[in-house]
Amino acid sequence: MLARKKRNTPVIVITAFLILLIAVVPQFTSTYTVRILSVALINYLCVLSVYVLLGLCGQNSFAQAGFWGIGAYIAGNILTKTFGGSLTAFVAAVCGTAFLAFILGFAFFRLRQYYFTFASIGLMTILNVLFINWVDFSGGALGMKEIPTFQLFGFSADSETSKLYVVFAVCLVATFLILLLFHSSLGRSFMAIRDNEMAADSMGINSLLTKSIAFAISGALCGAAGAMWASVSGYLSYQSFTYNQSTIYLVMIMIGGTGSPIGALIGTAAITILQEGFRSLQDYMQLIYGIGVIILMIFQPEGIWGGGKILYERFRKHREKSKVSAV
Amino acid sequence: MNVLGNTEKNPKLVLSDVCKNFGGVVAARDINLEIFGGEVVGLIGPNGAGKTTLINLITGVYKVDKGKIYFKGKDITAQATYQRAIQGIGRTFQHPHLLDRCDIWTNIIMGSDMAARKKHGNKVDLDKVLPELLECAGLQAIYLDDPMSKLSYGQQKLLEVVRVLLSQPDILLLDEPAAGLNNRETQYVSDLIRYAVKHDIGVLLIEHSMELVMSICDRITVLNFGHQITTGLPEEVQNNTEVIEAYLGGGLADAED
Repeated sequence: MLARKKRNTPVIVITAFLILLIAVVPQFTSTYTVRILSVALINYLCVLSVYVLLGLCGQNSFAQAGFWGIGAYIAGNILTKTFGGSLTAFVAAVCGTAFLAFILGFAFFRLRQYYFTFASIGLMTILNVLFINWVDFSGGALGMKEIPTFQLFGFSADSETSKLYVVFAVCLVATFLILLLFHSSLGRSFMAIRDNEMAADSMGINSLLTKSIAFAISGALCGAAGAMWASVSGYLSYQSFTYNQSTIYLVMIMIGGTGSPIGALIGTAAITILQEGFRSLQDYMQLIYGIGVIILMIFQPEGIWGGGKILYERFRKHREKSKVSAV
Repeated sequence: MNVLGNTEKNPKLVLSDVCKNFGGVVAARDINLEIFGGEVVGLIGPNGAGKTTLINLITGVYKVDKGKIYFKGKDITAQATYQRAIQGIGRTFQHPHLLDRCDIWTNIIMGSDMAARKKHGNKVDLDKVLPELLECAGLQAIYLDDPMSKLSYGQQKLLEVVRVLLSQPDILLLDEPAAGLNNRETQYVSDLIRYAVKHDIGVLLIEHSMELVMSICDRITVLNFGHQITTGLPEEVQNNTEVIEAYLGGGLADAED
C-alpha cells in the first residue's frame, strides 16, 4: 500500500531531449544562436533560484538580479585581479553569494510576506547603486573588461560552443541538486512554510532559519549564474543587474509555472523565444510581457507547465473511464 | 500529587499558575494542570472559555503573562513554538492546518521529518507504523499520491492527527478533533487517542462532544471565562454544581447581566 508511483518520467524525457538539442544545435546554427542559448541557460539558473524561493518556500524576492551581479563581480574580480582559476572563481562566487544571502535572510525574514518583498526591492536598489559607485569592486560605470573564459585542467573554453557546454553542465547539475532538494526533508520544510507557516511552526520547523537557508540556496544559484555570465560575456556592466532583470525572472517563472523546475525551463524558453523571435517589436516588449502575464494569470494561474499537467490528468481520467466502460 | 496512583511517574507537562489576559479579557487565570504519559485529560468549557488559548500558551503561540510551564521537568516558558514542538509537544488545530498544495504523502511524511529533527528521536519505521495509524484513522483506502483536496473535511482532520502521532510526541494537544465529524469518524478519533495512550503519550483533549470526553478521559478540567472551575474524575465533574451552572446558563446569565 505504501509503494508509490515515482513520476519522474517527464523530467527524464525533457533532460534527454535537451541534451540532444544542445548537442545537435551548435552543428547547424550560427555562433549567435549558440550565444543566445548560453545566455538563456544562465537566465534559467536565475529563474531556478526564483523557483526555490517562490515556488518552494513561498517568498517573493526582487533582488535576484542583484545576487546574480554579486556572483558575477566576485568571479570577475578573482579572474582578472588574482591568480585564481575558473574553479576558484566559480566556488567563490557561489559560496560568497550564498553566504551574503544567508546573512541578509536572517535580517530580512524578520519581516513577513509582502514586507519581505518590499525589503528585497530596497536591497536591489542598494546593490545597483553599489555596482555603479564601488569602482574597485565593479569597475564602476565603465564596467569590468577582459574577463578570461573558463579554463580547467588545461582545457580552455574559447569557442561559443564549448562555453555553451560548460553552462549546460552547470545547469544540469544545479537542476539535479534542486530535484534532490525537492524530495528531501529540507525541501518539505520549505513547502510547509509556503503552505502554512503556523503548521510548520507546530512541526518544529525554525521558520527564520529555514527561510534564510532557502534564500542562501537561491543566492548560490544566482552566484553560479553570475560566474557563468562573467566568463561567457567577458564584460560586466552594472546595467545588466537591474530591478527590471529581477522582474523578468519573476515573469519567466510565472509564465512557466512555479510548481516545478520544468516550469522555470519553459518560462525561460518562452521569454527568450519571444525576445529573439520578435526583435523588431522590441519597443513593445514590455507591453507584450504585461498583457501576457495578465492573460495567463487569469486563465492559467499555474503557468504553462501547471496547466499542461491539469490537462494531462483530465485526459488520463477520461481514458481510464472509457477503458472501464469498455469492459 | 498523582491522580493515577502510579507514584514513580513524573508528570510530562506541568502548568503552574499560568495567566493570560488579552486587554481586559481574562483568557487564563491561575491555571494549574498536570499531564502524565499515557493518560487523557479532557478540557471542557463553554465557547470562549479559553480552551484553545490554553493550548496556544502551552505550544508557545502566545507568551504567558505570569506562571511557568514545565515539560519533562524543564522550564520551557521562554521557548519558541518550534523548540517546544521539537522537544515533543504535538498539537492539532481546530481547523486542520495542512499543506494544501502538497500531496497526501508529503503531508504525512512531515510527521516523521519532525521525529527526525528531535535530538534523541528514533527514526520512524514508516512501513510498520504508518499502515497501523492509517487503519486506526480509517484512512487505509486513500491514495497517498492524491492532492489534499481529494479528502473530506473529516478525513483531513483525522490525517492531521495521524501526522502528529507519526512525529512521536510525548504530549499531544487535540483541539476539538471530533468537531464537524460524523459518528463513524468520531469513533476513529477515539481509536487514535487509544493508540496514543498505548504508546505512553499524554493527551490533552478539547472537545464539545460529551459522549467522547466522558468515555475516554481519565480526568477532566473545566474552564469558564479563563478560570479553572474544577479538575477531577469524569463522574465527579458531571455532578459538580458549578460545572452544570456554567454549561446550563449560569455563565450565560452572568454575561447578560
